[in-house]
Amino acid sequence: MNANDVIDSYVTEVARQLPRRQRNDVAFELRALIDEGLQDRAEASGRAVDAALATEFLQAFGRPEDVAARYRPMLSVIDPADGRKFLRATVVGLAVLWFLGLLAALQQPLDSGDDFVRALAQWWVRTVIPSMWWPGVLVVGFGLAAWTRRRWPSTAVWKPRAPDRIHGGRFGMALALVGMLCGVYVLVDPRWLLDVVWEGRAAAVAYESLTYTDTFLQRQAPWLLGLLLLNIPFFLTVLAVGRWSATLRRIETGLSLLTSAALVWTILDGPVFKTEVSDTTAKVLAALIVAFTLMTFAIKAYRSVKPMPNPRLQAQR
Amino acid sequence: MADAGAYEKLELELRRGVVVLATLSQLRKPRYGYELRQALAEQGMPIEEGTLYPLLRRLEAQGALSSEWKIEDGPPRRYYSLNADGRKLLKKLTESWQGLNHAMKRLLTED
Repeated sequence: MNANDVIDSYVTEVARQLPRRQRNDVAFELRALIDEGLQDRAEASGRAVDAALATEFLQAFGRPEDVAARYRPMLSVIDPADGRKFLRATVVGLAVLWFLGLLAALQQPLDSGDDFVRALAQWWVRTVIPSMWWPGVLVVGFGLAAWTRRRWPSTAVWKPRAPDRIHGGRFGMALALVGMLCGVYVLVDPRWLLDVVWEGRAAAVAYESLTYTDTFLQRQAPWLLGLLLLNIPFFLTVLAVGRWSATLRRIETGLSLLTSAALVWTILDGPVFKTEVSDTTAKVLAALIVAFTLMTFAIKAYRSVKPMPNPRLQAQR
Repeated sequence: MADAGAYEKLELELRRGVVVLATLSQLRKPRYGYELRQALAEQGMPIEEGTLYPLLRRLEAQGALSSEWKIEDGPPRRYYSLNADGRKLLKKLTESWQGLNHAMKRLLTED
């Protein structure tokens, strides 16, 4: 390659990334400017213009991608301000998907090293590669949010929000209460669902699968029902007060932790339903509820803000 | 004290802020890219080619500069100069810069 070839390849790489209507014009101008600059550099350094000097000169000019990008207004799909939030959501989401996929892959019998390697290969193909939908969804979501903020800046204006407000307002909470009452009604005797859907004509095995065991009814059921019913006067109080006070928050935390403890007891104790499939399903659901509750507490604790001076800086004074 | 890397980054940010104004200031008369770069460098404001040449096209697209191909003593060259909007922009940016400059002078000379 001689100096001309080096310059040609650089100019072509820059121009190829520009809009078609300005590509040739910019390439012609850039080529002339590089020629002139390189000639001056060679004279100043007492060297002949050769491929090595041209490469050195163009490396200082910048990567063709960077130079081409500077010809157009800056475009960012995700706002730089959202960068860390995007990264966190991507990492956490992928970690959850991969972990659940790994658990599912390891459910099969693993009698030898080959079985384990096969399970890992399945996990890679069925979980890890398809999980890339998650970053894709996030890019679209964050991209749309950024576009909306640029298109309608008034939507992005900060507004004060009371920390003790009820999410969804009183109407939302009233709806949640109705849902809660329906849920309690179904949980008292799930066979009621079969009567509603199939008008009492469901198979006997279906009724059996939704029948609680006597052990569960005698041991955990009264506690769970009591805790669930306590939620009703509690949320009615929140609805009446119209905001979350510190005391109400503490009561909510206590109720959630007690309910989680009762659910853990239920999972670890004997069967809940008479058939194995419905029992396993119920326990998986209970485990998910406990995991979600604990995760919510962990996130709240992590995100909490308590303004106070840094104790380490105080000690240095 | 902040490390050398931090100094370089902050100094680069300072320079970035004035690149447009410096460029506009030298285009009251028509100049082509390399000539402009040399004019800026001679007056203590060297700007990398990879930054300056695309900037000229962006300023032209924004309506602040006009350009035309000319053949004088050498190969064809694209000459850029301020148009009416560019002159107004230069005036406003100059006023803004002078205001900032005065404020910074006061801030930096205070005890």
